[in-house]
Amino acid sequence: MTPSPEIRPEETDMELITRWKAGDGRAATRLVGRHSQALARFAASAGEREGIEELVQDTFVRAFASLDSFRGESSLRTWLFTIERRLMLDRRRAERRSRETVPVQESDQVSEYGALDGLIAEEAQERVRRSLDALSPTQREVFTLRVQQGLSYKEIAEVVGSTEGAARVHYHNAIQTVKEFLRDE
Amino acid sequence: MNKCIDTEIQELLPDLIHESLDGNERRRVEAHLATCESCQEDLDVLRTVKSAAVFAPTIDTDRVVRQIPPYRMIVPGVEPPQRTRMVSWLVAAVVALAIVGGGTMLISNQSRTPTSVASSVAIDSQLQAPVFVTTPDSVVPVRIGSPAAATPTLALASSADVSSLSDGDLQQLMNDMDEFDALPAAEPEPVIAVDSGDSI
Repeated sequence: MTPSPEIRPEETDMELITRWKAGDGRAATRLVGRHSQALARFAASAGEREGIEELVQDTFVRAFASLDSFRGESSLRTWLFTIERRLMLDRRRAERRSRETVPVQESDQVSEYGALDGLIAEEAQERVRRSLDALSPTQREVFTLRVQQGLSYKEIAEVVGSTEGAARVHYHNAIQTVKEFLRDE
Repeated sequence: MNKCIDTEIQELLPDLIHESLDGNERRRVEAHLATCESCQEDLDVLRTVKSAAVFAPTIDTDRVVRQIPPYRMIVPGVEPPQRTRMVSWLVAAVVALAIVGGGTMLISNQSRTPTSVASSVAIDSQLQAPVFVTTPDSVVPVRIGSPAAATPTLALASSADVSSLSDGDLQQLMNDMDEFDALPAAEPEPVIAVDSGDSI
């Protein structure tokens, strides 16, 4: 069997997907390496505090298992964000259910804040985090996807399951809230 | 500071910090920024948010890749999972229908059988064992009901009884019947009013 040629850095996601389908495992490594940090940042910006690695891993496992349904109409990263967002929603629903049955202990809250203090070192990061916390979940998703990930409004609408117009409105409201928060600090 | 009303420029600011604007758009946005304090403030906020991205852990790529299952091409027409599930549901539905339908018929038959047996036994008993009514003078066998109405069922029920009798038993039965004073007539008789004689 002839070995696959080396992967060029400029190879597109679609080319890498084709390679992976043909049995080239290196293509999967390249795809994961290309998008994993963006997925981790999105999860963190969306409010996930724990299990981000597992979340990113689950996102890739799901994505690779259903790559045949990816038509390439949007970018792979947008598609991955969509999958990751669904997983986050599932996770939050499950957490909400477990919180309804198991009351939160005071010690849990203390340990959560302790972990958070360790995660956010810089003062600027802390201020930004608190300003993002002032947003609604959808505003926060739209704003971080736009500002930190650089997605277009059309791509954001796809990820959050909304319209382009709604994404624009969420962005405008979000930047006003964040601006006022940072000004008042 | 006046609030900027150029929403189009405001919406393009994130693209400016991501350097994803083409030449013309970039020049237009930069020209606007030179005169708009509100948009300058927006741009500062966006740069702060982008640079102070919330901490995210470093992802171990190899660990993630190890969890990814190998690619299995889905060939159209070969075991499409949805169809398989649909067929399974159909089979389950047919089996359930057969069980429910069969059970209903069985229950229906069971509830009908005792009735028909009971009625034929009743009719048999009416003919083979007449009711004896005691009057002051004698004992008179009395038939209750109409034999004509009972005939079709009786024929079926009796034939089964007669066929199971031996020749000797049949002869005995005939002899016993000869001893009765009142036998069923060919034509239905009016029901005999039993009277003790006190009223006459």
